[in-house]
Amino acid sequence: MLKTFSIGGVHPDDCKISKDCKIEVLPLPKTVYISMAQHLGAPATPIVKAGDHVKAGQVIAEPAGFISAFVHSSVSGTVKKIAPRQDLAGRNVMHIEIEVEGDEWMEGIDLSDTLVTEIPSDNKVILDKIKANGVVGLGGATFPTHVKLCPPPGKKADCLILNGAECEPYLTSDYRIMLERSKEIVVGAAIMKQVLGGCPAVIGIEENKPEAIKKMQQALAELQASAKGYEGISVQVLKKKYPQGGEKQLIDAVMGRQVKSMALPIDAGAVVQNVATSLAVYEAVQKNKPLVTNVLTVTGNTLPVEKQHNYLFRIGMPLSYIAEYAGGVPEDAAKIISGGPMMGKAIANLDATTVKGSSSLLYFTREMTQRNQESACIRCGKCSEACPMGLEPFLLQRYARNGMMDELEKNAVQDCIECGCCLYSCPANIPLLDIIRIAKGDVTRIIRSRAPKK
Amino acid sequence: MMSTIMWTIAIIAGLGLVLAIVLYFIAEKFKVEEDPRIDDVEKTMPGANCGGCGFAGCRAFSEAAVKAPNLDNIYCPVGGNDVMKKVAAILGHEVKAKTPMVAVLRCNGTCEVRPKTNEYGGYSSCRVMANLYTGDTGCVFGCLGCGDCVSACKFGALSLDPVTGLPVIDEEKCTACGACVSTCPKNLIELRNKGPRGMRMVVECRNQDKGPAAKKACANACIGCGICVKTCRHDAITLENNIAYIDFNKCKLCRECEAMCPAGAIHGINFPKPLDKAAVKARIAERNRKEKEAAAAAKAAEDAVAVPADALAAKPAAKPAEVPKVEVEVKMEEAPKQSK
Repeated sequence: MLKTFSIGGVHPDDCKISKDCKIEVLPLPKTVYISMAQHLGAPATPIVKAGDHVKAGQVIAEPAGFISAFVHSSVSGTVKKIAPRQDLAGRNVMHIEIEVEGDEWMEGIDLSDTLVTEIPSDNKVILDKIKANGVVGLGGATFPTHVKLCPPPGKKADCLILNGAECEPYLTSDYRIMLERSKEIVVGAAIMKQVLGGCPAVIGIEENKPEAIKKMQQALAELQASAKGYEGISVQVLKKKYPQGGEKQLIDAVMGRQVKSMALPIDAGAVVQNVATSLAVYEAVQKNKPLVTNVLTVTGNTLPVEKQHNYLFRIGMPLSYIAEYAGGVPEDAAKIISGGPMMGKAIANLDATTVKGSSSLLYFTREMTQRNQESACIRCGKCSEACPMGLEPFLLQRYARNGMMDELEKNAVQDCIECGCCLYSCPANIPLLDIIRIAKGDVTRIIRSRAPKK
Repeated sequence: MMSTIMWTIAIIAGLGLVLAIVLYFIAEKFKVEEDPRIDDVEKTMPGANCGGCGFAGCRAFSEAAVKAPNLDNIYCPVGGNDVMKKVAAILGHEVKAKTPMVAVLRCNGTCEVRPKTNEYGGYSSCRVMANLYTGDTGCVFGCLGCGDCVSACKFGALSLDPVTGLPVIDEEKCTACGACVSTCPKNLIELRNKGPRGMRMVVECRNQDKGPAAKKACANACIGCGICVKTCRHDAITLENNIAYIDFNKCKLCRECEAMCPAGAIHGINFPKPLDKAAVKARIAERNRKEKEAAAAAKAAEDAVAVPADALAAKPAAKPAEVPKVEVEVKMEEAPKQSK
C-alpha cells in the first residue's frame, strides 16, 4: 500500500503529454524584461539605472524587506529603462528592460556540467550563497528559500521533504529535471539537509513517474557510494492523488503528521522544498550561479507532439516570444494558462514575461474551459469528500454569500489551500473556490487586524 | 365528583399564586434597566438595518445614540435630516443639518469606447474577477461590470445598463448608505453632495495611467492634461496621479471645465440644459483676452503713471469675470426639478 495524504483529494487525468520531450535551451531574445516582483513578499528595489551595462548573473535589484529576494540579470547587455509593465494578470509591476548584447556571464560563475559533490562545511556560507543568488521556492509560491531554511528559534526540523510529486496535470518540468539533473537534485537535498541540522531527507515522487523514481534512486545510490554526506536521504514513492504536492498534504503523506490550523510546516517539524528549488540551491551553492533560469512546459491537448516542449528559459523572456518560438499559439486555443490547470492562472496578457516561478504555457480550447450553468446545491457532499483540508466547501460558500464572517472563521475558511478540488468535484457547477477564496481573504484580514491587540 | 373538581381548581390556583409570587421576586431581582428612549429612537428609524451609519443595525444605532453625549458622530444617512431631527428631539440634543449625499459612479468606460482585450469566463462577480486579474479591458482602473454594487444595494437604487455595461444610480432611491462604495473592488463609487437641484460636476474616470496609455484603453478616459485645473476659477479641481478630481464643496457649477475637457471625462449631471460648449469656450476665450488686455493695460499704467486714459481702460476689464456667475444663477432658477 503506497503512502498518500489521509483526507480528500481528487484524481484528474494526468495528461503528461510532454513528458518525453527533452529539455531544450531557448535562444536569447533581443530584449528581456525582468520583473521586480518574482517572489513572495516585498518587490525588490532596482540598483541599476538606464544606460548601465550588465552581465548575466549580475545583481540588478536588492531585497526590500525580510521576506524578499535578490534579482539578477539573466542576460548581458544594456539597461534600456526601468518602468512599470503589465504582468500576466495585467497588474503594473516595475520591470527592468535589458537589451541583449552577446552572452557574457559574471566571473566566478561555473557554467560547466561537472558535478560538484563536496558540500561546504560552513552552514552560514551556504545560507549566504542561497540568499545572494536569489533562490526562491519554485513549487509555486516563490517563498524566499533562505528564510525557509532558517527555522525560528525553538523549532527544529525533523525531516526535509523534497517535493517531486508534480501532482498538477500536464506539467512535466519537474519530471524532466528529475530525469536529466537527478544527481544535482540529490546534492541540493544534501546541502539543505546539512543546513537544517542533518535531519533525514525524503524525496517524494508519485507512482505515475516510474522513470523518475528509478533515476533518482540510481543517482542517490551512486552518490551515497562515492561521496560523504549523503546518508539519510531516501526516495518515497507516493500514490497518485491531487493535491499531493500541497505542503501540508505532502507532510501528511510522507511523515503522517498533520499541520495545525494557521500553523507553519516547521511547527510539525517539516521543511518542504520543491525538486526545482533543490536544483537551484545546488547551482547557487556549488556553482555560484544565481537563479536566472528555470524549466517551462509548453503543452496542450490539441498541440501535435512535435510542438510540445520543455524549455530551459532565462527569466525575463516575454511569454509571447516563447510561444512564437515554440511554433505559435494554436488557433483553437481559447485560454492560455500559466501553471497547472488546477491552480494555475489564465494569462490575460501574453506580453508578460517569465519569472523565477514560471512553469508552463498550457493551451486549452473553448470546450475544455467553458463553465457550465450553475445550479442549486444538492447536498451530495462531494466537495466535503474532496477537500484535502477537511473543510465543508458547500457550507463555507453559503456563509460567504451571506457575509457571515464569524461562521466562516469558526469553520476554518482560513485553512483553505485553494487547490480547487471542491470546484472540480461539484456536480452542480457551483463556483465554490471563487467564492471561498474571497471569503478566505476577508477572514484572514480580520484575523490579522485582530492580532496586535492580544 | 364535585369535590374533586373543587380540589383541583383550588390546588391549581394555589400553585399559580405561589409561582406568580416567586416569578415576581425573580423578575424584581434580575431586572435589566433599559433606557425607554432606545425604543423611542428605534421607532423613528427607517428600519432598513443597512449598516450605513457604521452600526450593526437600527437597534444598535439607537443604543449608541442614547449613550452618546452628543450627536456629532452619529448620523443616519438613510433617514437623513428629518429622522435626525426627531432623534435629537427625543434625546434633547442639537443636531447639525448635513447636506444630502448621493452615490456617484466615477467611470464612463462604456462598452463602446472601451474595447475588450480578453474574455472573462469565470464566476460573474467583480470581487472574484478583481482578485484574479485586472479585468477584461485595457483599463486597469475601470468598472468590471459584474454588478457587485447592484447586489450590495438594499434599496434597489442600482441597476446595470445592458447597453453601456455600467451601473446606473437611481437618485430617488439612493440613500447614500455607502454599501456600494465599500463593495466596489475598483473603488469607483463615491458619495458626493447632491448639489442644488441635484446638479453636480463629476470627473467620471479613475484611470491613473499617463495620457496616451489611458486614451488607448478607453476613449472617455481622463488623460491628466490639467486643462480643467487651469480653467477652474474656484480652485475646485486638483490633479493627482494623472487624474483630475473635483472638490464638490468648492465647485460653483459653472461647467467651464466640462466645456474645456478635451477627453470628455468631466460630466455635468442634472443640468436642465445641455452644455453649449462653443458658447462657454467663446466666453472663456473672451474673458482671457480681456484679462490679458487688462493686465497689459495695468502694466502700461504702471509704466506711465501720468496717463489717466490707461487706468480707465483697465477698470471695465475686471467686470466680465463676474458675468458668467450671474448666468449660472439664472439657469438654476429656471431649472425644473428632475432626476437624471
